Amino acid sequence: MELLDRYLQAVRKHLPWQRQNDIIAELRANLESQLEEKQEQLGRPLTPTEGEEWIRNLGSPVQMAGHYLPQQYLIGPAIYPLYLYILRLVSMWAIIVYTVVSTVTMVLSSNATAEAVAQAAGRLPFILIQIAAWVTAVFAAIEYFAVRYPEKCPPIAAYYAKWSPKDLPPLETLAASGKKRRTYAQAVAEVIFGFVLLGWLLAVPKHPFLMFGPGAAILHASPFRLAPVWWTFYWWIVGLNALELAWKSIDLVRGAWQQPDRYRHIVVKFFGLIPVFLVATLPGHAYVLLRHPDLDWGRYGETLESINHGVHMVSLLIFAIGSLQLLWDVGKMVYQGYRDRSVVR
Amino acid sequence: MTLPESTFENLRLELRRGCLTLAVLAQLRREHYGYTLRKDLADHGLLIDESTLYPLLRRLESQGLLTSQWREEDKRNKRFYRLSRDGEALLGQLLQEWQTINAAINRIV
Repeated sequence: MELLDRYLQAVRKHLPWQRQNDIIAELRANLESQLEEKQEQLGRPLTPTEGEEWIRNLGSPVQMAGHYLPQQYLIGPAIYPLYLYILRLVSMWAIIVYTVVSTVTMVLSSNATAEAVAQAAGRLPFILIQIAAWVTAVFAAIEYFAVRYPEKCPPIAAYYAKWSPKDLPPLETLAASGKKRRTYAQAVAEVIFGFVLLGWLLAVPKHPFLMFGPGAAILHASPFRLAPVWWTFYWWIVGLNALELAWKSIDLVRGAWQQPDRYRHIVVKFFGLIPVFLVATLPGHAYVLLRHPDLDWGRYGETLESINHGVHMVSLLIFAIGSLQLLWDVGKMVYQGYRDRSVVR
Repeated sequence: MTLPESTFENLRLELRRGCLTLAVLAQLRREHYGYTLRKDLADHGLLIDESTLYPLLRRLESQGLLTSQWREEDKRNKRFYRLSRDGEALLGQLLQEWQTINAAINRIV
């Protein structure tokens, strides 16, 4: 039957060459026996329509050959969860690094225009696609070698078997305080915005308009200038932001974003009060100075004293509020620790 | 909400997959070549596509559960399969498992 020969020829093309002859010979024997029996039952050869229907019911040549091939995954179920996890992690860090680098580059090159931002945002999807392709290629290679050389690859199932229930992340239900715990998305957003904020802070000395807006030009043209104490204050703030960002990033990588260290909050608040204290206790309360005191004191002296007095009072107020908050937090933490110990007993 | 037809079809195929292997192994306690095995299974009420059965025989042989040999019969070369010694031992275990599952399902439904 010519149609059967054509069918087998088409199947052969989709089989591995080493097994083609063997498989086709067996398939031919089986199908010819089936055909013979059909014709015996009918008492005549199959009509072209019946032959076509019979061959069609065998399935397409690709389907038939496909059943003879070993089951092959690009990334198999054993490593797929790990692949997704790594892909998410790498993509997240790519977004963070790209955002920070783009922001800093734009600010430092004085090219922070809407067009530059749009261009940078437009490049992001292509970067993510490239990263996803690389991660996929690496995992596909792992899958390929794990299937073909299982004795040379460490068993992934054994790696999973090493897990400990103690490493499970805490419940995402309501925390003891009644507030909902932070989600992963929140933690990622905090890190991304933390980097953007840090980049912005670092760019302020060179581009004061980023902080003061049009006020930067006014300040520049005015007879006043900021006292050196603000540099000390500025670097404290930068240092604190960098420290907190590093902590948050480490938490994210460790998977501990839901339960940040309870002491961290206190430490950050304490160190945050130090620059406020330095400002509030500045000798002479000289926060703003005159560029040319000999010339301008007569005209602006009174205004200057009034500004400095105002800044002093505000800094004292902030320090007082901050100190009270810190005391309250420390008290709460001590009470919570005492309560936890009581429950354990 | 009505379930799509594919849901039943997927679950049916999943349910059949293991059962077919068991039936093929059991039927090959006696020697068969592909087509007669298919007919035999159909006579017992178990219909199975050519594209499923013939490759399955190859897979079971590569796993060491079947042995095969080419032989001429009715002026045609055919590949005959039968259960190997390892296959026999495994079939015993699988049948026991099948009976346990079957009994449990019967008690449940």
